[in-house]
Amino acid sequence: MRALPALELVALVVAGLLALVFHWRLPHTLPDEEDYRQVGKHLSAHARPGDAVVLQPWWTDRARLYLPPTLPLWSDVHNATRDYVEAERLWVLSQPLLPRSDAAGFARDFLPGRTPEGPPVRFGTLELTAYRNGRHRHEAFRATRAVASAQVYLEDLRSGERTSCPWDGKAHRCPGPSHLYVAPEWREVDFAPLRCLWMHAPGGPVRLVAEFPDVPSSALLRLEAGIVGEHAVQKGPRVTPAHLGVDDAATGEALLQLTLAPGTEGLERVDRPARPREGPRTLKVWTQSDLAELRWDCLDVAALGAPAQEGY
Amino acid sequence: MSAVEQLKEAAPSPSADVPSSPAMGAPTSWWAPSPLTRVDRAASWALFAAAFTALLAVEQAVGFTRDESVYFAAAQSASRWFQLLWTHPAEAFTDAAIVRAWDFNHEHPVLLKSLFGLSHLLFHDALGWVRPATAYRLPAFAFAALIPLLVYRMGLGLFGRAAALFAASSFLLVPRHLFNGVLACFDVPVAAMWLLVVYLFWRSREDARWGLLSGLAFGLALATKHNALFLPLVLLPFAAHQAWRATAAAPSGRHTLVQLAALYTVVAGLFGLLALILGPVGFQRRFVLLSPHTLLFLVAVVGTGVLLAQLRTRADGAFRAVLPLGAMAVLGPAVFYLHWPYLWHHPVDRAAWYLRFHAQHVHYAWFYLGTLLRAPPFPLAYVVVKTALTVPTSLFVPMVTGLLAVVGRALLALPARTRAWVRPVSFGEALVAVNALVPIAIISHPQVPHFGGVKHWLPAMPFLVLLAGAAVVRAGRSLAERTPGRALAGPLVAVLSVLLLAPALWGTWRVWPYGTAAYSELAGGLPGAASLGMQRQFWSSHVTGVLPWINTHAPHGARVYLHEVNGYSFRDYQANGMLRPDLRPAAGPGDSHIAAYQYHQEFRAHEYDIWQAYGTTHPVTGLYVDETPQVVVYVKP
Repeated sequence: MRALPALELVALVVAGLLALVFHWRLPHTLPDEEDYRQVGKHLSAHARPGDAVVLQPWWTDRARLYLPPTLPLWSDVHNATRDYVEAERLWVLSQPLLPRSDAAGFARDFLPGRTPEGPPVRFGTLELTAYRNGRHRHEAFRATRAVASAQVYLEDLRSGERTSCPWDGKAHRCPGPSHLYVAPEWREVDFAPLRCLWMHAPGGPVRLVAEFPDVPSSALLRLEAGIVGEHAVQKGPRVTPAHLGVDDAATGEALLQLTLAPGTEGLERVDRPARPREGPRTLKVWTQSDLAELRWDCLDVAALGAPAQEGY
Repeated sequence: MSAVEQLKEAAPSPSADVPSSPAMGAPTSWWAPSPLTRVDRAASWALFAAAFTALLAVEQAVGFTRDESVYFAAAQSASRWFQLLWTHPAEAFTDAAIVRAWDFNHEHPVLLKSLFGLSHLLFHDALGWVRPATAYRLPAFAFAALIPLLVYRMGLGLFGRAAALFAASSFLLVPRHLFNGVLACFDVPVAAMWLLVVYLFWRSREDARWGLLSGLAFGLALATKHNALFLPLVLLPFAAHQAWRATAAAPSGRHTLVQLAALYTVVAGLFGLLALILGPVGFQRRFVLLSPHTLLFLVAVVGTGVLLAQLRTRADGAFRAVLPLGAMAVLGPAVFYLHWPYLWHHPVDRAAWYLRFHAQHVHYAWFYLGTLLRAPPFPLAYVVVKTALTVPTSLFVPMVTGLLAVVGRALLALPARTRAWVRPVSFGEALVAVNALVPIAIISHPQVPHFGGVKHWLPAMPFLVLLAGAAVVRAGRSLAERTPGRALAGPLVAVLSVLLLAPALWGTWRVWPYGTAAYSELAGGLPGAASLGMQRQFWSSHVTGVLPWINTHAPHGARVYLHEVNGYSFRDYQANGMLRPDLRPAAGPGDSHIAAYQYHQEFRAHEYDIWQAYGTTHPVTGLYVDETPQVVVYVKP
């Protein structure tokens, strides 16, 4: 018992000293504006189309002020685990000196399938490393980019009746509520930005359909979708599953299907490998939900080549 | 003898709360519990003045939280009623005039809002001494400054002058305490009122007048915020235990004490029976002036008076022990009713609505350890973890060791085998420890809303700093005991205090005025907290960090979307010269030229809405505190 006050004293002294050291060190772990400017210059000189920037830690969003606007920049909780299939090369801008930076944890999730192109370049406390993205796939088609050429309509499943949703230069707008349209937009799914096709289901036995002509055959056809924002967590009798699908418009064959059950958070994905002798075709992408009020679905469809890693 | 039994004292004087300690070469009053001398009285007022001045000096940089601007508006409405009372008193008492003035924001009682409004009338409208926001905030500074004063006085009586000084100095060095202390809100004031009630309760054992005052203070605490409703439950066991002991040798006093307990038990039982028979709606509807409800209340009031008078003659110690609770039972509801004009014509319905509102409070989304908490059940450890990650570690550690020392001594005093090892826990120490734990325990309940940072359990913090003060002095003296001559106790405690207070001051200076973003060294500061997945700010006050840029760059008459900043705050920023008067508020990114997004995990969608509306993902400026994004500004190309 006599030792306890001494133990308490040690605890207090250690706490005080460590706290002082922490405050003395903290400013030295932070980058300044000039560091960011140098990174911006470096990327302007060396980045090329198909590159993207990934921040580590994911929340170090200040970089957005200084980096070239043409470079896609990722700064969300999924930074370490995302495949970035569209990026051939990834520039990881990290701040390993920040408290709880967890560079090792990031590397554990991020590195598989990726090869550094060289040693990190340092700009003050910032570290920039370029990686060849082995998870990259050549993109033969992406619905968000081809939306202007799509034919969009509402399809009544009981009568088969179709109501056209004409293109107005920005979106295919359907008759009825203002949310019934198809357009590529920035939306939040599971706290991350998603460039996706806004395709809010009309409700009842009616589908919102977008038909994309001449979609080339490739190694993989992918449908990914999620419910936007906090609507994803909604459950209860007023919330029904959202059904999404990709059909072959000519044959009616169901190629891909997804169901977003109430309470499902995050991006859901389904893939279909190509079959031999498949040629270009028209894809019919659709969404439907019986009670669509809280089913704010956003989706994308892509025809992707083989993983880049196989070619390295 | 059990630990509870050891909550005894030889005499009711607070100076007997812990056994006296050796002088160790310094004046006894620095190390041992001491009575309040003239010097200490002056010192406590000096602490009050220093705290008030500090708050006044730093408040201008602090933005208006969403609730604060609502309280400004409510205060303005209150001040209009006071003006009406002055000019047309008869009209002011009508329910129509009362509703017109007091219906707005009737989810909170109005002691503070009335003071804010009167302060604004006097110091801004009449005297023109300060800007509008400062005038509203002045009463809040006074309440916040009361905490160091009371902490010092209580610490002096419990642990001595050195511990009292450390405790009183440390409270406002917790960045979130200082931040909340600046705001014209109720969280620090209710912490001050909680402390005041406990302080008066503690002193009531010396003199019955303190007991009566504690009843009055309880009423004012109820008029401050609903946290105070829990106070009688915290104090009841202490009063009961003290009274029981004091009547051990006075059978007639014991008899009266039992009668008093029976009175409250029967009244509570009958109220419960009424509620059961009538149902909640019927119970409320039939609670009128001439009703069984009123009769029961009157029986309790009269019975309390009669029995307390009897007890005074039969066992004065017991009388002083239970008087505070009797005073609270009678004066608490009376002060609460009288202070709030909104209750005057419809006391039951409107009080019931108020209580129901807080019993069924909505849950706001809250980011915690990487998970967005949206609805209960919330993690049991939330409050403890959040406290550990926000209180400067150099203050948190002595709080923990101080609390553990008291709890440990109480536990070791239970078995006969270990009882001799420890000094008994005094009544005052137990009172402090319980009050340090109860507010935390209440909010820790998984069904209680978890939002607002640390403000909901602020009433625990004055008691935790008291325990920290005791710990620091204990540790400093243990070092002095190991030095020759023992004359170094004073300097060593001083050095240790500086070592522990300096990092807190440094951290506060670093993060100020963005108080809701403050995180401790244990969290890794703000960057560490961001990586841990903690809420980094809330309620929009950090927008002040980008207002100068907006003032400089926004075109004349531009529509500005200040995300999360409500219309009242927008107006207040303009009224206080912090935002250009020609700028107009926009409802969303769609109708704006400039958007300032508040970076919250639950609001990420709002930033992407700006990207969508503006067609760019690149901001033009922002507020980044220790690298963490707080407010990000976009301009429509």
